[in-house]
Amino acid sequence: MTTIMIRPVRSNGTGVALPGIPFSRLLRVECGKATDTRAARWLLALVAASTVGLMLAPLLAPSSIDQSYTSYLGFAGVAMSVLLPVVSILTLTSEWSQRNVLTTFTQEPRRVRVVGAKIAVAALLGGGAAVFGGLVTAVGLGVAAASGRPLEANLNTGVVVGFVLFVLLNVFMGVALGALVHNSAAAIVASFVLPTAFVALGRASTFVAQWLDPSATLNWIVKGEWSGHTAQILVSVFVWVAVPLAIGLVRTVRREIK
Amino acid sequence: MITTTALTKSYGKAQVVRDVSLHCEPGTITGFLGPNGAGKSTTLRMIVGLTRPDHGTSTVDGRPFAELPNPTRVIGTLLDPTAMHAGRSGRSTLMIAARMAGVPTGRVEQLLHLVGLGDAADQRVGNYSLGMRQRLGIAQTLVGEPAALILDEPANGLDPEGIAWMRGLLQDFADRGGTVLLSSHLLHEVQATVDHLVVISQGTVVAAGPLSELLASSSLLVRTPDPDALAGALRAARIGFGPGPDQTFAVDLRAGRVTAEMVARVALDHHVLVTELRPSDSGGLEKLFFSLTANRTGSTQEAAA
Repeated sequence: MTTIMIRPVRSNGTGVALPGIPFSRLLRVECGKATDTRAARWLLALVAASTVGLMLAPLLAPSSIDQSYTSYLGFAGVAMSVLLPVVSILTLTSEWSQRNVLTTFTQEPRRVRVVGAKIAVAALLGGGAAVFGGLVTAVGLGVAAASGRPLEANLNTGVVVGFVLFVLLNVFMGVALGALVHNSAAAIVASFVLPTAFVALGRASTFVAQWLDPSATLNWIVKGEWSGHTAQILVSVFVWVAVPLAIGLVRTVRREIK
Repeated sequence: MITTTALTKSYGKAQVVRDVSLHCEPGTITGFLGPNGAGKSTTLRMIVGLTRPDHGTSTVDGRPFAELPNPTRVIGTLLDPTAMHAGRSGRSTLMIAARMAGVPTGRVEQLLHLVGLGDAADQRVGNYSLGMRQRLGIAQTLVGEPAALILDEPANGLDPEGIAWMRGLLQDFADRGGTVLLSSHLLHEVQATVDHLVVISQGTVVAAGPLSELLASSSLLVRTPDPDALAGALRAARIGFGPGPDQTFAVDLRAGRVTAEMVARVALDHHVLVTELRPSDSGGLEKLFFSLTANRTGSTQEAAA
């Protein structure tokens, strides 16, 4: 039996200060955790594949789909909005569902820092996805142009900013839900059911449609229709991101880990 | 190194841990022994900050666990070997622990071999048996080169060879000045491994101290071919006794006020032949364990009735 590896035990007398865990280290570790399992890799591959797949639609159906830069970008956005919230949710919830928070929170008992690192990782993945979506759109447009199709070059800064905000809001709505619910399956189901439910509620109540329906908010953002909707967008972001995230953080700090 | 003071925790009306105080010194292995549901795991979770106590405090290396800047460099924790990400390999589980602790990741390979998982390092933890997870968990506790270990039922799922291996590892750790606190309901495992004991029943500490003291015999076994003569001699010397097993006498040691020499001298003075004179079998820890836990169960049931 090899015992040489257990080094002589240090006598950490009281007050001997070992350095704490820097946030950059937490970020690196959480980044690894979000991408090192088969499930995570399949999901990211699926996001990429669905982005490419959806880009085929305007390419293959030029007669029925508007041939413009923003139209192509919109298809990338659809792909992002379906699966990226799931990526964000799993980044936040997978350790709860697998129960290895038990280990993680004994490695870093300041739980908010761990969650903070997970949120940063989700944002990084979202930012990366936005860039990837932009690249796929560019390739799609390149292919269309090469086939000699006339394309309407209607892309401006507002549209690009809108696209990036749209992707990030999708990411953060997933993050907030994951931070609040802690259970992968429940959070994913909620992320699909809630927006649909609010569309339905919005038909019954203009107040809901104007101020709370996340689909409407996302629609305004991706189309850059801020004028006249700024207050609604901010309220909706507050309700769908800030509130669940705040409650989720309090819950994370207080929750007993078994 | 590990100290708790009057830790108390209730869930609803049920008080699962009540005033648990314990202290673990460097160089010792303390067994935290109790039947299932006695409050062992809850106490251990409170020490490492996963459960918030209602009252009481606990410190590791002089400060609350949650205030340790980099806890795994001070204390390794293994509370539940099933609480590991099933989709990750043994190696990447340890790599994460090493990165978090800030120790060189080269240590991971050494630890994988130390715990005998060298060949299974790339398998996903989901495919591991409980014993393999237990070994991986042990490796994980050692990643940060800690000065103390907290292990909840570490023998669960290990085969006899694995239990012997872990016993050697923990004793080696303690011999080098490390502090170990491990819980168990497996009496024999604890008896062979620990040097200190804290016995808990229904949330309270019912016995604590060095193993040798807790196991010390409380009576002498005396055998004679002439029972009537010995009984008379003992009565004359005012030494209390009762019937022992197999037609022997059980002489009460009265916490050291009666010794084997006194009994032998009484027999000599009365010319009684004694063929056996020795500390009676205490029944080991098992007897202690069952007597303590059974008594408590009885008394609280009476109290509740």
